[in-house]
Amino acid sequence: MSGTDNKENGGSAFVPSRRTVLVLGAAAASTVVTIRPALAQTAGSVLNCQIPVPGPHAAGSYIGPDGSLVAPGTPGAAPPLARPLNGEEAKVLLRGSTPAGVNPQSAQAYANYIRRLQAGMSGFTCYASLQMPR
Amino acid sequence: MTGARYIADPEECVQSVALDGLSVLFHRPSGMTHIVAPPAPQILEALRMGPADAGEILARMRAWYDLEGDEAADAIEARLEELEAAGLVSRP
Amino acid sequence: MKHSLSLQIGPVAFRIGSTWAAPLDALARLYAGYPEPDRICDFTVRLEPESPWRRWVRPSVAIHGDYVLPDAAPMSLAHGLLAAEMGMNLQMALGQKHYLLLHAASVEKGGRALILTGESGAGKSTLAALLGERGWRLMGDEFALLDLDDGRLRAFPRAVSLKNGAIRVMEREVAAERFGPRLDGTPKGSIRHLRPNPRALEAMAEPARPALILFPRFGEATAVRPVGQAEVFMRLTQASTNYVSLGGAGFDALTKLVDACPSAAMDYPDTDSAVELVETLWEQAA
Repeated sequence: MSGTDNKENGGSAFVPSRRTVLVLGAAAASTVVTIRPALAQTAGSVLNCQIPVPGPHAAGSYIGPDGSLVAPGTPGAAPPLARPLNGEEAKVLLRGSTPAGVNPQSAQAYANYIRRLQAGMSGFTCYASLQMPR
Repeated sequence: MTGARYIADPEECVQSVALDGLSVLFHRPSGMTHIVAPPAPQILEALRMGPADAGEILARMRAWYDLEGDEAADAIEARLEELEAAGLVSRP
Repeated sequence: MKHSLSLQIGPVAFRIGSTWAAPLDALARLYAGYPEPDRICDFTVRLEPESPWRRWVRPSVAIHGDYVLPDAAPMSLAHGLLAAEMGMNLQMALGQKHYLLLHAASVEKGGRALILTGESGAGKSTLAALLGERGWRLMGDEFALLDLDDGRLRAFPRAVSLKNGAIRVMEREVAAERFGPRLDGTPKGSIRHLRPNPRALEAMAEPARPALILFPRFGEATAVRPVGQAEVFMRLTQASTNYVSLGGAGFDALTKLVDACPSAAMDYPDTDSAVELVETLWEQAA
């Protein structure tokens, strides 16, 4: 870590310089991490959830590769799931793997759909951060 | 050099705690918490003196620290963009 | 509601209502010896039929209460006890505002608390239950309650939820009378609940000052690694269900906890090694 704490007082005969070294680092390095609500970690062990894909309000829609709802038959889109996903399956998808019974080609689309769930849409409350800021 | 000017919220808006070389910030207006690594907290410190662009921030920081790094101006710009994305600074 | 039961667990009072008697009978047996609530309940849980005819035909238990998750899957009546436990978890996770909630197990010795936190399935519940039988006082296995004012941990000793292999481990240690029924085929596999011992119940109202935070991981060769404070902070926010909603108070409480408490990640191959490792680390932290 760059030296912003100056603790060189021990043993010096003269007053240590107040100037410390600050390393600016590479432009590409990232230095800010925002605490985001935890998805599926705390909720997963609190309750047994199910997420219909897509939700009942969008029955029949397909899921685009980026997780958005698209018209049936859109090229590259994933079909609706016959039964809702449970908590474990959602976690597997979010990790980048494919749960049993799910087409691996569609896994990415379903994972993105879960990530995009907004408050009020079916399935979101399960994975919402039980700590969403108001 | 005049680039985009940034402003930071006043000190009362941000609570900061140092944890092993990193700063954990609570931004009251947004209720969000961020963990930031140097030089980000020092940039925020520099911005509290008043609105500034990357060049002015660099100058302010040079007065307090011996700066190291080959990409100084780019690094500051990049940090400002990050801080803006996090809601800790803004461009008026 | 046809049937109801009130429970006081640590500083929280629950009222659990149910359309069927069976889950509450099982709950009452599991929580035998707990004090009667001395106040109006903080949270209500209701076990209701998924739809009117599901009260009788393939009975299906939906978990309701002050706080609900609309997408929660209903459970079979055979798992009614589990539904009641999950209902209580849910109320705490969504409704607790007086304490910072950490998804962690905690045990106490000499007025100081050890916090065991980490991913589900990492073994913290089992480890805490075991320590509770080996000279420590079990404060809780699911939630650790951090007091926002004084930074101490409050005990919240619910029945320990043992899963799969952990069931056998504790069956070897503890008398049969303290166990609930074995529930197979739950979404998490086999589950059996274990009532904390009399010492844990007697000391339920006594807080403890956090003194060590451990991130235990079962199934690896013994190893201990320090964890940076910022990382501990980050991991604890991920383990908290109400950090964000508590705003500045949550930030203060959590930064103070992390600043004051040493922490380490520990890997262990079996429970006996774990207990030994914990004792060693505890002594070092003193």
